[in-house]
Amino acid sequence: MSRKGKDNLVKGAIYASAGFTVLVLIVIIGFILIKGLSGISWSFLTRNYENKTTYVTVSTTAAVSTEDVKEGYVEPLGITLEAIEGNRLEITKLDKDSPCKAALNLKGVSYSIKKGDLIASVTSLDDTTLRIKIVRPGGGIIPMAVTTLYMIVLSLVISAPIGILSAIFLIEYAKHGKLVSIIHFAIENLAGIPSIIYGLFGTLFFVKICQMKYSILAGALTLSIILLPTIITTTEETLKAIPKSYRESSLGLGATKLQTISKVVLPNALSGILVAILLSIGRIVGESAALLLTAGTIAQIPKALYGNSAGGATLTIKMYTLMKEENDLTTACAIGIVLLVIIIVLNFVSKTITRKLLRKKGA
Amino acid sequence: MSRRKGESVLINEGNPEGIISMNRNIKRDVFEKIIETIFLLCALVGVISVIAIIIFVFYKGLQPFIGEDAYSLWDFITGTKWAPGKDIYGIFYMIVASVLATAGAIVIGVPVGVLTAVFIAELAPKGAVRILKPAVELLAGIPSILYGAFGLGVIVPMVKAISPRVHGQSLLAVIIVLAIMVLPTIISLSESAISAVPKAYWEASLGMGATQIQTIFKVILPAAKSGILSATVLGIGRAIGETMAVMMIAGNPTQGLPQSIWSMIRPLTTNIAMEMSYSSGRQQEMLFATGVILFIFIMIVNLVLLRITHKAGEKR
Repeated sequence: MSRKGKDNLVKGAIYASAGFTVLVLIVIIGFILIKGLSGISWSFLTRNYENKTTYVTVSTTAAVSTEDVKEGYVEPLGITLEAIEGNRLEITKLDKDSPCKAALNLKGVSYSIKKGDLIASVTSLDDTTLRIKIVRPGGGIIPMAVTTLYMIVLSLVISAPIGILSAIFLIEYAKHGKLVSIIHFAIENLAGIPSIIYGLFGTLFFVKICQMKYSILAGALTLSIILLPTIITTTEETLKAIPKSYRESSLGLGATKLQTISKVVLPNALSGILVAILLSIGRIVGESAALLLTAGTIAQIPKALYGNSAGGATLTIKMYTLMKEENDLTTACAIGIVLLVIIIVLNFVSKTITRKLLRKKGA
Repeated sequence: MSRRKGESVLINEGNPEGIISMNRNIKRDVFEKIIETIFLLCALVGVISVIAIIIFVFYKGLQPFIGEDAYSLWDFITGTKWAPGKDIYGIFYMIVASVLATAGAIVIGVPVGVLTAVFIAELAPKGAVRILKPAVELLAGIPSILYGAFGLGVIVPMVKAISPRVHGQSLLAVIIVLAIMVLPTIISLSESAISAVPKAYWEASLGMGATQIQTIFKVILPAAKSGILSATVLGIGRAIGETMAVMMIAGNPTQGLPQSIWSMIRPLTTNIAMEMSYSSGRQQEMLFATGVILFIFIMIVNLVLLRITHKAGEKR
């Protein structure tokens, strides 16, 4: 083959590879969007995951009987009902002054009936009081979203200070020497450990030995270790980029080392640290294997930091259980869309910050 | 006004001779020392974590092989059947699965990744770079569970259509998804290695009459060798440790060496993730033992990586 023909062949392979990379991304995003879009709706984004059944009592001003509660407008209650499958009535409209808004549950606590709630059964207590079995339909991702948010906050609260202070120590205090290389060696190794191993450690140490059970604290502590390398190396890079002359001027003016760090170095490193935190959020949102073994798979909002009802599935974990256990790829991909949006926004914001940072340095 | 006041205090405090007051300086020095110690302690958290992870995982994972009712380590490593109910724990077929899947992913992922990196660094017009770079970053940021959904919804049906077997879950599906997952790592690291090659190399080679392509393959890529090599090793680490995406598409059989690319496989990682939540006793210890084997692979990968980067550092 001629030299030119050979060159063109190789060039073709190069273009094909680059094209393949872009194509793969388009197919992945396209698939998630097409498969999941039908699962996205307002109620998907705002509702609880499980159906919630509650008995409430409603007192009206006008006389009301169980017969009145049927399809159409129910005047004494101020609601419009529509029959749906399973012999239930859906509340499609709720008057502003509807007595249903002042409904009480069996403990006497206010449980306001909302549009979209289902009426499963009605019994009459007296002329003006009804006991209604209300089913608030689930199918939404609120518990997982809240758990994910908790997980982000908790992991960062633990990991960010430790990571940032580590980086400060490595750059500002320890110059060279054995200790620094040991710490760097450890961090590089941490970065290479797969998350399933972190999961094993977390489930043994935090869940079992520390007796936290499957909980957000056990998950967040495990995540904190996973995040350390990212936070430390990114912050280190930022600190390295701050000119030496800044520190020297500050020290020369008589500031102590700590004053120099807190008043000169850190303010200049802020946007870099912000990027480190955004990267970490991306990692937390996407993490699954480690959380599967430490925070559990229950779709609920955790009620405590650790202990019995403190576990909760994040969005990724719910996506996993939907695919693996419930064979529901559509809902899983709907969660996938939510995840994609979060990741794209995080990518965009951290890129914008980095670009601003570079421009500032160029100027 | 208040600011000026603050500055004057600053100068007094920073006076090492302690003209104002010796006591205050000692106090300040002690304070600074305490803060430095806190910084040091934070820096040690990483070290302690690594040590703790190694100790705990190995301790628990080596339990079943010592003591009275010990399970034969040889049977564990060479066995090809996993049946916790019958007290049979063999993971050789999982080791083979992990190695084959990783090797396959690297064989596909590295050439495609390096060529894409060449395109971005040397050949692409500016507009194409502006699309490709964010695309690669986004690929890197996509959570692995989404790759699992993609594998389950796209790759597995595709494999099923061409496979002689009835199922699409297979070694081939795992290889394809892993190859895609290692792409961003390979591309971004190779790209920076290629970009770091001095422009003079280009000019010298082109000046001697070599074509663009010849220059890339005979001059640029050899010069960027160590960067590409460490990208490959990092890719190996990512592929062998990947869990959630693989679990969806591997099939996870309880026994049998993979016979062909159409066979279902059960890599080490998925073995752990599948059974951990409901296991106890020996079964759980065996999952930790699986983790130990995986950990040993990862340690080898890490050491090789350190070797490469260290050597490259010396060269410079």
